[in-house]
Amino acid sequence: MPLSRSDEFKCAALAAVVLAAALTPRMASATLGEPEITVQNDVVRAHASIKSSQDRTGYRVHEITLPSGTSLREFVAPSGMVFAVTWQGPIRPDLRQALGRYFEPFVSAPRAKFADRRHLQVQQGDLVVQMSGHMRALFGRAYLLSAIPSGVNVGDLQ
Amino acid sequence: MASMRALKSGLCTVLCMAAIACGGGGSSAGTGVGGSSSSSSGGVGSSTSSSSSSGGSSSSSSSGGGVTTGNVANVIVDQGPSNNSVNTLFTSVTVCAPGSTANCQTIDHIQVDTGSFGLRLLAPVLTTAMRAALPVETLTGGKTVAECTQFVDGFAWGPIVTADVQIAGETAKSVPIQSIGDPRYSSVPSDCSSGGGTAENTVATFGANGILGVGPFEIDQPACATSAIAACYYACATATSCTSSAVPTAMLVPNPVTRFATDNNGIIIVLPSVPAPALTVSGSLIFGIDTQTNNQSGTQTVLTVDQSAQLAMTYNGQTLANSFIDSGSNGIFFTDDSIAKCTNTLTDFYCPAMTLTLGPLSIEGMNGTMANNLTFDVGNAQTMLNAHPTFNVFPQLAGSNSNVASFDYGLAFFYGKRVAVAVEDKVTTAGTGPYIAF
Repeated sequence: MPLSRSDEFKCAALAAVVLAAALTPRMASATLGEPEITVQNDVVRAHASIKSSQDRTGYRVHEITLPSGTSLREFVAPSGMVFAVTWQGPIRPDLRQALGRYFEPFVSAPRAKFADRRHLQVQQGDLVVQMSGHMRALFGRAYLLSAIPSGVNVGDLQ
Repeated sequence: MASMRALKSGLCTVLCMAAIACGGGGSSAGTGVGGSSSSSSGGVGSSTSSSSSSGGSSSSSSSGGGVTTGNVANVIVDQGPSNNSVNTLFTSVTVCAPGSTANCQTIDHIQVDTGSFGLRLLAPVLTTAMRAALPVETLTGGKTVAECTQFVDGFAWGPIVTADVQIAGETAKSVPIQSIGDPRYSSVPSDCSSGGGTAENTVATFGANGILGVGPFEIDQPACATSAIAACYYACATATSCTSSAVPTAMLVPNPVTRFATDNNGIIIVLPSVPAPALTVSGSLIFGIDTQTNNQSGTQTVLTVDQSAQLAMTYNGQTLANSFIDSGSNGIFFTDDSIAKCTNTLTDFYCPAMTLTLGPLSIEGMNGTMANNLTFDVGNAQTMLNAHPTFNVFPQLAGSNSNVASFDYGLAFFYGKRVAVAVEDKVTTAGTGPYIAF
């Protein structure tokens, strides 16, 4: 019986976990700008569950549900690189992990003039981070401008 | 991609066999309201001076939205303690040591926020004696309780203390509140700061001396009562050694209005209409709905909200499910790629060549009730702010929203309206919360 897409992914996921544990204990905990395999690091470290994995035109999306109830989506380019992460829920995901080497540039970026507690838009070179919402309903996304696959609209990254 | 999958399938074959089974599978006309607006340099009322920008304490009851009696607190939109606030609504709050009516401190410039839940004060504005008089919550076993409160642009860290809270003539006894930036709790856990954004633990970074979350829910983060969730509640063996922990619901920070002895089912914000930018605007924060002669429901539109305080707005033919009405947003934030964005330091805001009147905007509550044919104005943020560098009230200030499924109608929605916010499960003659009515 051929593997279904779902089965295929679960297998790949398991393979990734075993590989990550056995071969590369020092593997970056990040996802943005990292290979798809780090999606599994998120699952392991965050005690989360993979809710779905879906191929769209030009990229693949993994959705992870975190213990807080927040959903975290990781967008993977055909090259295998995570080019965007998005989230929505009551508590933000661990962005130090999700943004990896882009976390520090993000938090150290200058604040916009007339900021309020409901919006944040940061662009530092290739990195764009946008957040919105209010208490219990926090939305955000981070992406690498140069890594967005051709034909993919930023508006699709939700 | 194909070769990647092939690789994975190969790996799967090898690894799965050795491991676990892997085959399973614009606003409408408001009713007549009180309050006033001013574009003169004199401000509103007897005093609009703020406490020092470094956040000194204040016992004044006349600034920052002064205290009045009964169930009505004064509110004001002014420059705030950081001297650069726009469209930010403030009031004053008095905290007392639990059980005391003498050991109290009144703090001005507490932001009135319908988009959060709970009272949070910046510890540096409390006197050392007052900080010492407000006991830190202690769990069974002796650990103290602290919270990492996430706002969109950052986080606020500090212990949960209990205080008697007085606003206008209302009192709530022994209410858990957060003491943000408390010098005793100087070590922010890394899994708190990992949520990203700015640490808002000083008056300067917070932009207020505190925040009064009067949104339509009773508890700030109910999910954190049942499991330890990072960047939520913490148990602290010492003040500088805290780890995420479940905390009983009764110890979580509540919307303090729900703890008032009376007038505890919600609030009403009343602000005058503001046709043009103004220096300041003042109005009223009324406690209770249908509990006194001054807070009766009339024929307003009642829109219930979902469990995230959201409702649907329809703009440009798109229904936006993550929309909300929010006194804590300083602009009207929505997606419309046809409007020019500002450049330079104001890139979050819109800068159309001329002021636009947009609509129709419709708002639909979860109860199916609609508010239709609203319109709103969008001005050029750069032009307005340049023309009025000292003003704090900009009803036409609007900007983009990175969530394309959200229309965030900020404080501008409240100008010229009487807006009621009813708390979840609380009954009023107009309906049962959570709802927003206007």
